[in-house]
Amino acid sequence: MAISLAFGLQSLRYSIGQFSRAGPGLFPLLVSSLLFLIGLISVVRSRFVEHVHLAFNMKNIAIILASLCGFAVISEYLNMIAGIAFMVFCASFAGTSSYSVVRNLKIAAGLIAVALAFQKLLGFNLPLY
Amino acid sequence: MDVLHNLALGFAVALTWQNLMYCAIGCTVGTLVGLLPGLGPLATISILLPLTYSIPTGGALIMLAGIYYGAQYGDSVSAITMKIPHASSIVACIDGYQMTLKGQTGLALFTAGVSSFIGGTVAIVVLSFFAPMLGEVAFLFGPADYCALMLVGFVCVSFVTTGSLLNGMAMCLIGVLLGQIGTDVNSGTPRFTMDFPFLAEGVGLVSIALGCFGIAEITKNLDNKDERTPFNGKIKLMPTWAQFKRIIPSALRGSVIGSFLGILPGGGPVIAQFAAYAVDKKVSKYKHEIGSGAIEGVAGQAAADEAAARTSFIPLMSIGIPENAVMALMMAAFIIKGIQPGPNMIAGHPDLFWGLVASMWVGNCFLLILNVPLVRYWLSVFKIPYSVLFPSILFFCCIGTFSVNNNLNDIFVTAVFGFLGYVFLRLELDAAPLMLGFILGPMLEENFRRALLLNRGQFTAFFTRPISGTLLGLIGIFIAWQVVAFFLQARNRTAPA
Repeated sequence: MAISLAFGLQSLRYSIGQFSRAGPGLFPLLVSSLLFLIGLISVVRSRFVEHVHLAFNMKNIAIILASLCGFAVISEYLNMIAGIAFMVFCASFAGTSSYSVVRNLKIAAGLIAVALAFQKLLGFNLPLY
Repeated sequence: MDVLHNLALGFAVALTWQNLMYCAIGCTVGTLVGLLPGLGPLATISILLPLTYSIPTGGALIMLAGIYYGAQYGDSVSAITMKIPHASSIVACIDGYQMTLKGQTGLALFTAGVSSFIGGTVAIVVLSFFAPMLGEVAFLFGPADYCALMLVGFVCVSFVTTGSLLNGMAMCLIGVLLGQIGTDVNSGTPRFTMDFPFLAEGVGLVSIALGCFGIAEITKNLDNKDERTPFNGKIKLMPTWAQFKRIIPSALRGSVIGSFLGILPGGGPVIAQFAAYAVDKKVSKYKHEIGSGAIEGVAGQAAADEAAARTSFIPLMSIGIPENAVMALMMAAFIIKGIQPGPNMIAGHPDLFWGLVASMWVGNCFLLILNVPLVRYWLSVFKIPYSVLFPSILFFCCIGTFSVNNNLNDIFVTAVFGFLGYVFLRLELDAAPLMLGFILGPMLEENFRRALLLNRGQFTAFFTRPISGTLLGLIGIFIAWQVVAFFLQARNRTAPA
């Protein structure tokens, strides 16, 4: 329902037009209205089913997202080799009970070699250095 | 008899040692590049197109076609083993990955390979006998008919989704809405871009696929804390006779569905996978197992996908219209080589046309020969400890996302969809319908608006045209049947024992 409202309310800011000359807002408005309806039915239905506990572990997803974003930022402002090293060292904090610097160094070196092969052999435009 | 004569000509061209070599190189390189997460057939062909510049025309086209279906197979390997799909392997993620979790990766990959072979073979028969005739079928479809066809695709979602019908439809509509992000093609208005310039071209399919499937799955595996070891050291590759008998009917059904839907422009091949899966889920003897790692769930969709990929060449080669981005790229390759695809291609360059058709079957054989022994190597990925594997998968996700537009902002978009994918996973919402909605959404809008424009805003056009009327009628019957089935089940549950 939140997604349908986000898209639906925003689509009202675009021209709706008429059915014979639909504006950019018409189709998203129709789809988000339908989605809202489905959301409403789901909410009503949820009142009659048993509640289930959801297992969210925010730590791992936060670390993974941080490593992705860090990779992008470092690649943009420094270079991609540093970005790859950061990503490996940061992501390894997630889920693992044993954190090994040597293992991470080996993984990062291997992935940098793969990235270099992509750049040189397949012509990928990677800002490695 | 003409067809047999033409096929003989085609095989004479395809079986020269140079063309065999180009076909083998195309299949091998395509499979290897297609294995990388995020790199689907389109990206693979784009990257490898320059390889064909210095090759004779016939060999170059055969090699490109080899790259195309090699990449498609490679794509299904990453979908089955790591749950990282591209557009051509979304459905492979469902039962294929479930088979991986059961330790049956070898069997799943073998099934995908054999079914692709069956699908490709059926499609080549269709291509040989009906190519000029079927090219015209695409002309019979107007905007209203395409809308109805896409709605059929959405209805197929109700079978595909692992949760409830409502959840599947909701995810599908969320996908349609995500497809609206970007510049409106008719008015040029930027929609839902939040003033980010990089969103003007919309959200990339790769970002959504890698985020919702790849990143979300990695995080889920990390949450489970156990080292993921579905590979137990024993490779069960060949199916038993009983399992093989389950593959054949499902693959044949998928082949027929894929051969027909592949001809239709736009989302034909994507709808084909979902439609074949939905049909299997309805008519297969083992339908109750589909969704939890059944062979049929892999076989039908793989055959449909392969058949659709082959028959998608029909509009290009018979009427000169590329029906999707991959075919547009193939058309560019034809033109670079001085060949104008169209009605005159078959008559003007019979050796090229029939050589390409025959090489598709040769390529299928190569893929089968190449991939059956290689399955052991694909499986070796599971020997790597997950603590080493997951940073590598993250790396490939980043490179795959970046290489589409050479834009680092796409990685942030992938991260956002990674979070959403994780939330969906925890809420037990299937992301496959979202992908279908995202792919078909822009086409649905375009055809919906065009149909209304042509009919002066009247919705009657959707019901009065024979094709759209029939398709919408079938959707109506299906929904009515679902409602009746729901109430019958509810009555049976409440009835005293």
